[in-house]
Amino acid sequence: MIFTVKKRDGREMPFNIEKISDAIVKAFRASGELNDQIKASQEQIDLLGHEDVLSSTALKVAAYAVGRLEAEGKTKPDIEEIQDAVEKALTDNNYADTAKSYILYRAERTRIREVNTRLMHTLRDITFSSAKESDLKRENANIDGDTAMGTMLKYGSESAKHFYTMMMLKPEHSQAHMNGDIHIHDLDFYSLTMTCCQIDLIKLFKNGFNTGHGHLREPKDIRSYAALAAIAIQSNQNDQHGGQSVPNFDYAMADGVRITYRKAYLSNMVKALMLFTGKEEEEIQPVVKKLHSEMAEMGMVATLVPNEKFVETEARELSKSFDTEMVMKAQKFAEKQAYEETDKTTFQAMEAFVHNLNSMHSRAGAQTPFSSINYGMCTDPEARMVMKNLLLTTDEGLGGGETAIFPIQIFRVKKGINLNEGDPNYDLFKLACKVSAKRLFPNFSFQDAPYNLQYYKPGHPETEISYMGCRTRVIGNNYDPTREISYGRGNLSFTSINLPRIAIKMRSIDLFFKELDRMLQLVSDQLMERFAVQSRRKVKNFPFLMGQGVWIDSDKLGWEDTVGEVIKHGTLSIGFIGLAETLVMLTGKHHGESESSQQLGLKIIGHMRDFCDKESKRLGLNFSLLATPAEGLSGRFVRMDKKKYGIIPGVTDRDYYTNSFHVPVYYKISAFKKLALEAPYHALTNAGHISYIELDGDPTQNLDAFEKIVRYMAEVGIGYGSINHPVDRDPVCGFVGVIGDTCPRCGRSDGHYISEEKLNELRKKFPGMPAFRGIR
Amino acid sequence: MSDKEKSLYGEGVCFERIRRITGYLVGTVDRFNNAKRAEVNDRVKHGV
Repeated sequence: MIFTVKKRDGREMPFNIEKISDAIVKAFRASGELNDQIKASQEQIDLLGHEDVLSSTALKVAAYAVGRLEAEGKTKPDIEEIQDAVEKALTDNNYADTAKSYILYRAERTRIREVNTRLMHTLRDITFSSAKESDLKRENANIDGDTAMGTMLKYGSESAKHFYTMMMLKPEHSQAHMNGDIHIHDLDFYSLTMTCCQIDLIKLFKNGFNTGHGHLREPKDIRSYAALAAIAIQSNQNDQHGGQSVPNFDYAMADGVRITYRKAYLSNMVKALMLFTGKEEEEIQPVVKKLHSEMAEMGMVATLVPNEKFVETEARELSKSFDTEMVMKAQKFAEKQAYEETDKTTFQAMEAFVHNLNSMHSRAGAQTPFSSINYGMCTDPEARMVMKNLLLTTDEGLGGGETAIFPIQIFRVKKGINLNEGDPNYDLFKLACKVSAKRLFPNFSFQDAPYNLQYYKPGHPETEISYMGCRTRVIGNNYDPTREISYGRGNLSFTSINLPRIAIKMRSIDLFFKELDRMLQLVSDQLMERFAVQSRRKVKNFPFLMGQGVWIDSDKLGWEDTVGEVIKHGTLSIGFIGLAETLVMLTGKHHGESESSQQLGLKIIGHMRDFCDKESKRLGLNFSLLATPAEGLSGRFVRMDKKKYGIIPGVTDRDYYTNSFHVPVYYKISAFKKLALEAPYHALTNAGHISYIELDGDPTQNLDAFEKIVRYMAEVGIGYGSINHPVDRDPVCGFVGVIGDTCPRCGRSDGHYISEEKLNELRKKFPGMPAFRGIR
Repeated sequence: MSDKEKSLYGEGVCFERIRRITGYLVGTVDRFNNAKRAEVNDRVKHGV
């Protein structure tokens, strides 16, 4: 006889046959196999001796199962053994459908149990291991997983992912994600928000804005312009999980410089007149101020590059109160002083802006906002002053000479504006190259690439190409072709396809395309599911992004309105990883090695782009193809594929899949060949792309080579590119440059000490050396 | 602290090595996940 059962956790519990029959009742209900008999018995409900068909049959099956266990001599069966016996009992008694339901019920229970266990394991890992040991804690390199807020963020993120995969995703999407066919990015934010946005600062600053913690007035000089720009980025970051970008940094900040100059000119004019006339401020200031405001009403203001109309009118009017010669001298003085003061203030404003973006926190304090700024095209003197000073402060580095991690700076390159000698911003292009050669930023975007140029309307900065963060690009607009602009728009969500796996599974090129089509459709459906969830969100869920009118057309909505219509301006993007490994699997060679592989690569990516365009037409939305950035994903797919298919040389034999369409990082190739091979993919990946070149040594020593590469990017049709080179720093002596095993300045090796004498000696030689903790 | 320790500086302080990861810069390779770390190690320089 059976008196006890062994539970999964090992405890022994009294045996209770009703627990078994209860589970069988559920299975009968699910299969409906007893429905006819139940109905018949209900019709005879009045008759004596009636019994519940369902429970009596279930009890009989349970008894049969127990009989089997006893016959096998199992006196203390465990749960699995009991369930096996029940399955057998149902089959033996010809309840085939119910046996099937029972098996499904078992599988579902197992799945839930496993997920729960996995979640607990994950939370334990987050709690007890340091970021050094735990890959999970280093999923995103810009979050410090060891801090309290970083850990709390991770708990939330991992729990949310589990919840969504179990409860919200369609089973086919959830399964495809979990088994690594696809990757749903930012799954932890699935039901909450959209990815990113290009923030139009000019619109936001007009009449001021509200961060939710108080109203900020329209800024009145370049310092407050720059401070508010950082606050806007920070505030919007709390409403979205992706990057935050400013598409018009040069144009927007120029307005701040204009105001600063005007004020500086006025105060210096007053000072000069005081000095020349010997009169008191109270006598002069009201006169000049009144004149300036009257002139401003007629559209005449002091400008960084003096304009004749203002200068002449001012001279004429002031001459009525003061000596003409004195007035003209005062004007010259004020122009010169105001220019210098504005220049200095602008530098300080840019310095503070960069400092702020590297120190102000968002997301429960776990990381600084993911910020980007685009600039380079505005040729106004005020904008040029902004860009010059931004580049100069970037060149200097942060307080201790460190390279600033944020914002990502993107310099827009265009012929006739800044690319060639004689172009109005050519000097800034040269400076951008010099700074990038030292500090890795700015990156370069290319307005003349045909697929960027097609949207560009001179005089309309909103049509200039803007990139953000890793590479996201939003410009075309199938939903509303009259709004093909970057301002106020961004990506809604993106999901990537595991391309190498399709190649491993299918082997032949024909079958590859068939399976690719199936996967594309699956991802499109999944993006639409998520879009439906996002569409139901309300303005109040995004107090800054929507509440302050940052997102396009959100200013037309009320607090309780859903955002469904306005987010149609955003993009739904299909991404991919590992084109190189895919090509190796299909042809034996990647696109760096063989021209025919390159042709196949372009065919594959072109096919994916066609699919996106067709879906856009079919659904009236913006589907676009993304060269996925893939930070966490770089290892996830290949880990799973290695387990599933073993090590395949050139395909699964490394710890990462090659990024998007890149030629593999380990492949020896010239910078120019690499760019020429990758450029055609930029034209196809309309949701975003980037190409990198790795330079050896210190490129500041070879600026010509650096510039040559940037020019070549423009020539071959790269949309967005940057040049990598080692930027090392020794915090002890402050050296910045290439550090091998030992520091070229102080000679210490990693983690080793230097003596006080040596340090003092260095300090004499390099007076700019930063203070290091413990060093006098 | 002994006199000897007082006059030595930088023990345990590592060099910062800034690298680009997907598009963002990261101040230290320590924060990279295992896959990205492997990729950074594999990167070869491109000739000009």
